[in-house]
Amino acid sequence: MSDEYAPQARRAATWRRYLRFWGPRAEADVDDELRFHIEMRVRDYMARGMAETQAREATARRIGDLATNRAECLTITTRRERRMTRAQLIDAFGQDVSFAVRTLGRQKGWTTVAILTLALGIGANTAVFSVVNSLLLHPLPYPHADRIAFVYQEPTQGNKTGMMVAITPRPAVVRAWRESAHSFEAIEPYRSASTMLAPPRGEAALVLTASILPSFLPFTGEHALIGRVFTESDLKDGGHVALVSESMWRSRYGGDRNVIGQTLALDGSLYTIIGVLPSTTRLPALFLGATDVWLPLDMHNEGVGLSTIGRLRPGVTYAAAESELDSVTTRLEQSEKNQVLFRSKLLPPRQMVGFAQSLILLSGAVALVLLIACANVAHLLLARAASRQRELAIRAALGAGTARLVRQLLTESFVLASAGCAGGLLVGSLGLKTVIALRPGTLTELDTARLDGTTLLVTVGLALLTGLLFGVVGAIQSARHSTHEALKAGTLTTSHSRRQSRLRGSLVVSEIALSASLLVGASLLVRSVVRLQTMDAGFDPRGLYGISVMLPEKGYATPAARHAFYAELASRARAIGGVETVMMAEGAPPSRSFLVGALQLEGEPAPPAGTTSFVDYNGVQPNYFRAMGIRLVEGTTFSDTTEKSSQVMVNEGLARKYFRGRSALGHRLRVVFNGKGEWMTIVGVVGNAFTSGLTMDANDPLLYVPFQGRWGPALIVRVKPGTNPIASVRKIIPTMDRHLPPPNVTNIGEAMRQSIATPRFTMLLLASFTILALVLAAVGLYGVLAYAVAQRTREIGIRIALGATRRRIGRAIVTQGAVLAISGILIGLAGAFWATKFIDKMLYGVPRSDPYSYAVGALLLFGTAMLACVVPMRRAVSVDPLIAMRAE
Amino acid sequence: MDSSVDFLKGTLDLMILKTLSWAPTHGYGIARWIEHCTNDVLQVEEGSLYPALHKLEEKGLIAAEWGISEHNRRAKFYRLTTLGKKQLTAAHDTWARFSDAVFKVLRTAPASR
Repeated sequence: MSDEYAPQARRAATWRRYLRFWGPRAEADVDDELRFHIEMRVRDYMARGMAETQAREATARRIGDLATNRAECLTITTRRERRMTRAQLIDAFGQDVSFAVRTLGRQKGWTTVAILTLALGIGANTAVFSVVNSLLLHPLPYPHADRIAFVYQEPTQGNKTGMMVAITPRPAVVRAWRESAHSFEAIEPYRSASTMLAPPRGEAALVLTASILPSFLPFTGEHALIGRVFTESDLKDGGHVALVSESMWRSRYGGDRNVIGQTLALDGSLYTIIGVLPSTTRLPALFLGATDVWLPLDMHNEGVGLSTIGRLRPGVTYAAAESELDSVTTRLEQSEKNQVLFRSKLLPPRQMVGFAQSLILLSGAVALVLLIACANVAHLLLARAASRQRELAIRAALGAGTARLVRQLLTESFVLASAGCAGGLLVGSLGLKTVIALRPGTLTELDTARLDGTTLLVTVGLALLTGLLFGVVGAIQSARHSTHEALKAGTLTTSHSRRQSRLRGSLVVSEIALSASLLVGASLLVRSVVRLQTMDAGFDPRGLYGISVMLPEKGYATPAARHAFYAELASRARAIGGVETVMMAEGAPPSRSFLVGALQLEGEPAPPAGTTSFVDYNGVQPNYFRAMGIRLVEGTTFSDTTEKSSQVMVNEGLARKYFRGRSALGHRLRVVFNGKGEWMTIVGVVGNAFTSGLTMDANDPLLYVPFQGRWGPALIVRVKPGTNPIASVRKIIPTMDRHLPPPNVTNIGEAMRQSIATPRFTMLLLASFTILALVLAAVGLYGVLAYAVAQRTREIGIRIALGATRRRIGRAIVTQGAVLAISGILIGLAGAFWATKFIDKMLYGVPRSDPYSYAVGALLLFGTAMLACVVPMRRAVSVDPLIAMRAE
Repeated sequence: MDSSVDFLKGTLDLMILKTLSWAPTHGYGIARWIEHCTNDVLQVEEGSLYPALHKLEEKGLIAAEWGISEHNRRAKFYRLTTLGKKQLTAAHDTWARFSDAVFKVLRTAPASR
């Protein structure tokens, strides 16, 4: 702080004052102040006759600890200035916001439309992407979900079935994997079943049980709510312990903590309850409902395969993990002298979401809706900026800087976006609730969807960006237009707004194009669903009921025992009033069973060894076809149902595919697996029927074999119209065996309708988004035309005064609208033709090029567009030339 | 020990406020005024004047503004705010009562034991 610095310091001090405008300069200020003090003191001492050196020393003594005091001053000042700056900013922002709110409030209609547009766009997206987020991105609520994969096996020779073949590995294989596969942090087998829960507590009921290893709960990151979880010693002791779910604990035990130690009777065995698991604990099986009872998994029952899930070590690829599992499997099978039939297959959890395809379609659609909403807001903002040119020009003339005006416009955009965001949150949460409430029974996984903060942020960010972007564009365009010009009375000039109207025109065209694509997609889906609902199912599902009973192992271990039970049930069911026919079948529609192997006709070469495919089949009784209403095309039904007879019936699809016009009767065929298979003679051909569900292809080859009662049989009864056998069947079961759970009775007609519930649900959602898009696009078109009319009021007035008929004026407006609409529609139809390839798989019986859907889309959109023209047109033709010309 | 420091600090604050109640001035001016009024009896460590000033400014008792000094130098001038004036009046009364009491104590003859 010697004197030679002083002049510089002074100069610096001068411009520093300007620097302060951008930010506090606490340090320089404190130094300046102290330096001033020192210099003054030195000067005073020297005036009293001291030499400069002595004067400085005396000053230093008198001042004392300069460094500490300086630091203290600095701290205080910095703190104060920071607080002040913040307060000033908040104050200025508050002023801007309240000004923006007042300005927006003056144009209620405009503001409402803008906020509604944003709220609907943001809300719809938040709802759909929340579902996407929870189902596709985070399908399993487990830690490190990104490294979790389902572990299945598939045939070594490849999969020619055209569908996903997921074979659950046998317990020995899973044990070997758990012991020696290093690619995984954990491999967890599990099994789920619906099991009969017997009294004493509550009524007998079917509950969902899950069998797991003690390591499963740490894998999911869940802990017992009360009591304890499984330990290894539980397994050693025979595993007769159970954990109950929180919901079962509350409903069956009233949330009593004394539940620990009580016994449960499941399928005739007793289990001691040791703990309660929170309801967030879920099996990885996405389509299953919530588990009620958790049991220890018996890894030594080699009879059944185990569903398996694993968590990979960081950085391990699926391919590497699969090959490691395969080498472990091979070693095991070779040591047991077995053939290696399967190879392992890892699947990411999202691939198990049944609704995935629809979700991807819907998220695409809803993203388009957001784009349309953003485009709408954009040109709403542009139109507003243009119509406020005079206001802005006046304010600029009165001294408001460009930065100030831009800030004002940005604040308005921000206020709009915030209101839109609040609305969006409301629409989103209501939307999500509605979606979950309307979901078909099959999509239980939807229930886990929650409103997602990240999604909301992204959507809001997008909307905010649009608002800001177009707020600025509007502001800049207005600023470019000279103040003088704008202030001139009656701005007739349209040249300046030509650029703007071109921008707005292209925005509207893109909106219409996007809506047109959506409309075509939606009409395709609607047509497809209508077709599904009205088409001939190939059998008559009305009055058909399927009955099955969960038979416990105890007492029903053999096929003969099960067969006998169903035969007895059938004879008792015949006695129920209203029942016309009773038959036994291996599967009741809508269901599907397969024989493993490839089809071979006699006289034709055998399929290559090791080829694995599936052949649809059902085991039925001779009266099945007549009772179901399936048409007999040629031949007869089974005349001999014993195993030796080797009779088989085929559907038309099979006959057409393999016999091409020749009669199939009398030919022999077999299903070959590993080179083996019994020959069967075709005795009859029946019509194609959608017995595996309406969304399946009835033309797929299907074999009918005589019912033997091998696999989980079902009873199918046909009742007279208006009668319902459910109550009577329920009464019969306990009289046969009082330990049995209530039967599973399905109304087949209803179940067939349910089989198209997912497409119908998708269609419903897509249709709502499309209607939303349509309305938004119409609002956009209306906005552009109304603005054009408002801008040209004077011009229209002059034209009318010069003799133009009102008809002609009206036609000009409508033409403008029609040109925009038609260009948009043409682009949209072209886009739809490309985009529909993504929904091809979701269309049933409707080609994606279906001209009807395109026509419907185009016409609907054109009609809506014309409707949007009506109000602006009427406003234009009702222009009073005198008033219009006097105005401005 | 602590209370005596507080006591002195409070004194310094009060003296600053009092000084500024006459006219706005810079830090050096305040130092000079205190020096003059107390006939150099009460010599403040001048460095500690500034943290005190900045604290008073932060509390809103005084306000500062950059100006030009009598020697044509840029200096930070402090003035009393309304809040500062109120504080001074209040403190002034307390202080007067206190110093009066101290004075009385000092004047009283020690009681005989």
